[in-house]
Amino acid sequence: MSAARASERVEAQVRAVLDGVVERVLGPVAAVREAALARFEEARSQGVAVRRDDLHALREPLQELLLADDCVPVGLGVIVAPSVVDEQPLFLEWWQRGPGTSPPTRLEVDLNTHSVGFYDYVVAPWYAVPRRTRLQHVVGPYVDVHGTDRYVLTFTQPVLSDDDFLGVAGADVPVGRFESLVLHELGDLPAEVVVVGDDDRVVLSTSSRWLVGSLRHDADSGATPLPGLPWRLLTWPTRH
Amino acid sequence: MRLLTGDARQAVFAPLDDGAGRSAAVVRRLGSAIALGIIEDGEQLPAEQQLAASLNVATVTLREALADLRSRGLVSTRRGRGGGSFVRADDDALAELARGRLAELSTADLRELGDLRVAVGGTSARLAAVRASASELAALRGLVDRVAAARDGSEQRRLEGRYHIALAASTQSVRLTTQEIELQSELGQVLWGSSRSPAEVATDTAAHHAVLDAVEARDAALARDLAEEHLDRVTVRLIEIHIAAVRRGDGPSARGQDR
Repeated sequence: MSAARASERVEAQVRAVLDGVVERVLGPVAAVREAALARFEEARSQGVAVRRDDLHALREPLQELLLADDCVPVGLGVIVAPSVVDEQPLFLEWWQRGPGTSPPTRLEVDLNTHSVGFYDYVVAPWYAVPRRTRLQHVVGPYVDVHGTDRYVLTFTQPVLSDDDFLGVAGADVPVGRFESLVLHELGDLPAEVVVVGDDDRVVLSTSSRWLVGSLRHDADSGATPLPGLPWRLLTWPTRH
Repeated sequence: MRLLTGDARQAVFAPLDDGAGRSAAVVRRLGSAIALGIIEDGEQLPAEQQLAASLNVATVTLREALADLRSRGLVSTRRGRGGGSFVRADDDALAELARGRLAELSTADLRELGDLRVAVGGTSARLAAVRASASELAALRGLVDRVAAARDGSEQRRLEGRYHIALAASTQSVRLTTQEIELQSELGQVLWGSSRSPAEVATDTAAHHAVLDAVEARDAALARDLAEEHLDRVTVRLIEIHIAAVRRGDGPSARGQDR
């Protein structure tokens, strides 16, 4: 087998691994998006604004998703566009897995715009990019400061009713969890893998030359864009 | 009352563990939270018993603290239905409270606080030069621009606090970020005691932009040096205010207290 063909085959295998892990995140995100959309559309069909309690009701499906044995995200929820929820300038219904076997808890953040701890989600890329592009997005790794205060990847999809942007549905995956899942799935596949995000940040790396969270400014000749995600993949076979 | 939300807000109403001067500690905690905007102007505080329980102080201690805050003009109390204690974010009162705290602390305390700020802020600037993405850099610039355009001193301080926290977060380190958040909440007790002229604010925002220029140029050593110089200047300013206050007789020894 030629070196080029071996390299193509390894790349296909690596992509299958990444697709598999990402799908285990995007599946729950899509479920949250649909559950939220149903709430918005029910209110709309009654000609009223969606109320806080309508979205609090999402806690049941959110908890159920988070408690599933094979759930990859540690946080799931919906972040609503300003003034969409009745009498709430800003609103999010976000739940997180508890430590150990404790039940999920609701994330409480500071939404007072004048506070030093204000969670200014409207400008956060995981909100602002899907609002602009109407496409799903991944941000990170980043420190979710004033929010979960964790080092995470955040996957989001826009919640759209006809053409109205109502907010985003999303999932948080801790950077370490994503890394260990992918490394585990890669197993002994003879390949080095580096995934780079759209802000040139290393999302995942099997090589100590490129540490997760570092920037990779050099031109990525040979990097393959991953469809549906703002990520590019560099992979090369390792010798036995 | 609006539900208390957020980690910072939870911290505001968390039990106080420092034994002595508990009513003063309650005043400091709530005063700092008002200064930082964690408790909003006009916001109603929880009922006395609930607040005393969550802070783990006796109701009588809490009443003492509320009376102190009331006399300072940071809390107003309305009686009857819909009554309770409401927060007033009065800039002059916050400055007065912070000056009292500045007088109470020692030069060594302030130097220690400054040393930790340099350790965290200097390292943050150095790592930001290596790790901050273009969009994070743009957001940091935006915060500094908002400091320059802020309507009052409190708003300037809060936005500056957000700038320091965002710089720490851009290093990709949760631990550095947590340290900076803790520093900012502690600084909420003292920074309000130093009012700045428009020229001083301009000097400070220029210093932040200079750090960001070095971050943008990916010059880690320069970014750290500039951040450290700026933070040292802030500490010196606080120490000067402290010394002047104590020499005026605002300090603890003048009140015959033992620290």
